Amino acid sequence: MTKKQEQTASFMVRFNQRIFEENGEPKVQWRGKISHVQDGDEQRFSDFNDALTFMQEKLGVLTEEATKHQTTEEQESIIDKSLSMWKTIKNVGPKVLRDTLKDPKRQFTHLQDEIQDKISTIGDEISEKVQIDQWRNASRSDFNTIQNQIESLSSQIKGLSSKIDSLKKK
Amino acid sequence: MVNFHKQLQELQSFRENAEIRIETLGNFCVWRNEHKIDTKEWGRDKTVQLLQYLVSNRQRNALHKEKIMDGLWEDWNDRDFKVALHGINKTLEPERLARTEAIYILKQGVSYQIDLNKVWIDVEALEKYIIIGNETFVIDKSISKQAYKAALKLYKGTYLPNRIYEDWTSEEREKVQLLVLGAYITLAEILIKENPLESIRLAQHALAIDPTWEDAYRIQMQAYIVKGNRPQAIKTYLKCEVILEKEYGISPLPETKKLLKEIEAIS
Repeated sequence: MTKKQEQTASFMVRFNQRIFEENGEPKVQWRGKISHVQDGDEQRFSDFNDALTFMQEKLGVLTEEATKHQTTEEQESIIDKSLSMWKTIKNVGPKVLRDTLKDPKRQFTHLQDEIQDKISTIGDEISEKVQIDQWRNASRSDFNTIQNQIESLSSQIKGLSSKIDSLKKK
Repeated sequence: MVNFHKQLQELQSFRENAEIRIETLGNFCVWRNEHKIDTKEWGRDKTVQLLQYLVSNRQRNALHKEKIMDGLWEDWNDRDFKVALHGINKTLEPERLARTEAIYILKQGVSYQIDLNKVWIDVEALEKYIIIGNETFVIDKSISKQAYKAALKLYKGTYLPNRIYEDWTSEEREKVQLLVLGAYITLAEILIKENPLESIRLAQHALAIDPTWEDAYRIQMQAYIVKGNRPQAIKTYLKCEVILEKEYGISPLPETKKLLKEIEAIS
């Protein structure tokens, strides 16, 4: 039987947050480092998916090692099951991170509060706040409206282009 | 008002007078009354592991025996723990009389912890110096400098380097590394005007720990400009750009780019 220690993988993940302004727009950047404790390997990432891939690779090796004495069929089946678990994590992982770290509403509210603080020192008359809670996701009808508008715009552009062509001919 | 000078003196005097001193940074070493304890004196490696585990978890309240064993060993039994604990107590207190309580490893029922009032530990002292450095940063830079310098003097390398593959040491190692990186950068910043060479050296130490630490490059660029070495400042930016591209696929922060522009504008 494989020892418990040989079936354990530990990871240390470091996130380094950088908030800055670029072209007048506030931005946030995450730089990260993930280390696999048992072999000392480490990788830096700016996309969390790379950290998940790193973990997946390390765990893949662990599964492969633990099943190397089994038949190829058994080994493949276990590795498949292990990978299917990872598909779930890979799908959920970034979402969890997004929800925790990049909640757009919360972030927007936070930034807006900061801006409000600054504005209020200049004058109350320009400090009217847009309520983020009144925002909603775009619905199907919104998309339809946008699509119709784009179609109408493109037909207008076509019309204008043909007018320009005929003017050129003259 | 808090007397930070006094706090610094107390930390120094605790180091000089503590009967037991434990060094964990760059190397593991224990001193008993100025006598360096030889590896053989510990007997089994499990004894050393238990002491190191208690050091790593020193700031938690008394640790339950089973939690300690679960964290340390995959197959454990009571006997292992007893032997290891006895090994620590015997080595730290060879003269202790039978049936008297150990004074360095405190016992509360079946929970254990190191007595931090009696045992000096480098990582504990390092953290305390950095706290003083941070607290005095805005009110008195001279104390702040003194505190950061004292902290960095204690940093002789990674935490418990012979246990880097043990997960129970990772948390402490990461914590110490970030504290030290912060101290290098802050001290380097304080010293830019009065001693740019030292700032460059400190930033270099930070980069040896983490070559992608962008603040360190920026400090070096500023320090080179104070020294009047414009080409080296530009070269430092280029190094930063290369490493960030290689490791993260990103470019330096606008703050660093802005500094480069300012340097390029110097005639």
